[in-house]
Amino acid sequence: MWLWFAKLGSPKWFYELSSKWLPWLVGAMAILLSVGVIWGLLFLPPDYQQGYSSRILIVHVAVAGTSLAFFPLMAVAGTITLVWRMKLADMVAKNAAPLGAWFSFITLATGSIWGSVSWGTWWEWTDSRLVSMLFQFFLLLGVISLRSALEDSDKAAKACALLSIVGCINVVIIKYSVEWWNTLHQPSSPVSLSPDSPNGPEFWIATGIMILAVYLFLAVSLILATRNEILVRERQAQWVQDLVRQE
Amino acid sequence: MNPTPATSTSAAFLATLRRDFLIAYKRKHDVVNPFMFFVIVVSLFPVGISPDPVKLAEIAAGVIWIAVLLASMLSMDSLYRADFEDGSLEQLLLSPHPLYFMVLAKNISHWLVSGLPVVLISPILAYMLNLPAAAYFTLLLSLLIGTPILSLLGSIAVALTVGLGSRGLILAVITLPMSVPVLIFGTLAVQASVNTMSPAGYLALMLAMLAAAISLGPLASAAALRISVD
Repeated sequence: MWLWFAKLGSPKWFYELSSKWLPWLVGAMAILLSVGVIWGLLFLPPDYQQGYSSRILIVHVAVAGTSLAFFPLMAVAGTITLVWRMKLADMVAKNAAPLGAWFSFITLATGSIWGSVSWGTWWEWTDSRLVSMLFQFFLLLGVISLRSALEDSDKAAKACALLSIVGCINVVIIKYSVEWWNTLHQPSSPVSLSPDSPNGPEFWIATGIMILAVYLFLAVSLILATRNEILVRERQAQWVQDLVRQE
Repeated sequence: MNPTPATSTSAAFLATLRRDFLIAYKRKHDVVNPFMFFVIVVSLFPVGISPDPVKLAEIAAGVIWIAVLLASMLSMDSLYRADFEDGSLEQLLLSPHPLYFMVLAKNISHWLVSGLPVVLISPILAYMLNLPAAAYFTLLLSLLIGTPILSLLGSIAVALTVGLGSRGLILAVITLPMSVPVLIFGTLAVQASVNTMSPAGYLALMLAMLAAAISLGPLASAAALRISVD
């Protein structure tokens, strides 16, 4: 168990292992993403109340759910960085922050577009999920700007790790305090696969496919970015130079 | 192995407090500037929005809370900077006493010097903004509970960035989103009083946040200082 853990910290080992995983992950992502997008956005029957605009939710729900994973991910990576000084954890955390900011931004954008049709407004301050997503976005920007401000990469790693842990706790507190406002956002609809449920089972299947696809997209982007980071940081290492000479 | 401390931790705690008070007394502009900033920002709102007393009464609580938030954030800059520059912060880190208590002492003295005056002047500014009289006491209470939380949160961000040359804006980007819960409950408490409802629930939640901030904040600040100074 510990040997495996120590091995995982080695950038070289991760680089080689991820080379084997990547084709499978990319393949699964491509299939699920194209099924989800084409079926969800073009062929899904319109909702009985929202009409065709409900198709936006397929993307929105998937991206929103995934964007909530970033702070816990960065906090775990940060803890590993601070406790075990594992370089790989910081490389993941470094690339997770901008990705998380993008995911939050896309969540806000798709939500706004959907809201403009369904609620008749692009932005609504009385809705708790909009506001807490906005502040999660700001907190991620804070982590990114701290990273870019600190020049010493070791110091930046530890500082961002600490800020991610504090931020992760804070996101939870922000979420619950913002919920004290009256909320317009509909609570999650009960998941039902029975044919007589109001949304129909297709909606849930399409959303499920999309959620899986977006998580795979997250994994693939994070792995690609981390591999890039490994090559940059380990450019002095023998195995990277061998790799470059081979190509 | 730690050397046996020559003094007890409580003596070191009091010495740190005393030292920071003395420094604040000698460097008065660090104390006066946040205070002046607060008064000036609040007085800009009626000029910028409307001199209409009804409109002002509506926004009074939020304006005062946001001005307090900004003043507290700007004042935090002086918490560790001078100590970092003259090397005494390093001495503090090397001392055999738990860094938690040393950081707590610095936070307490900093809040008493730069946070408390802002809190105490706030009823006068609330009067100028035509906040209903029933809410003065709640405003004072909510600020008394809320500003230490802001200081303890800000201390983490300042400790993380203490080595940076220019950091005014990065401090804002890190601290302001984290202060949102305090702002929400502070203004909700005042609004409850304005609507003649009991603010006790909101104040109790703020007290809970203060308890969490006192127990966890200095720990995070101490860890951040160890990262920044090495």
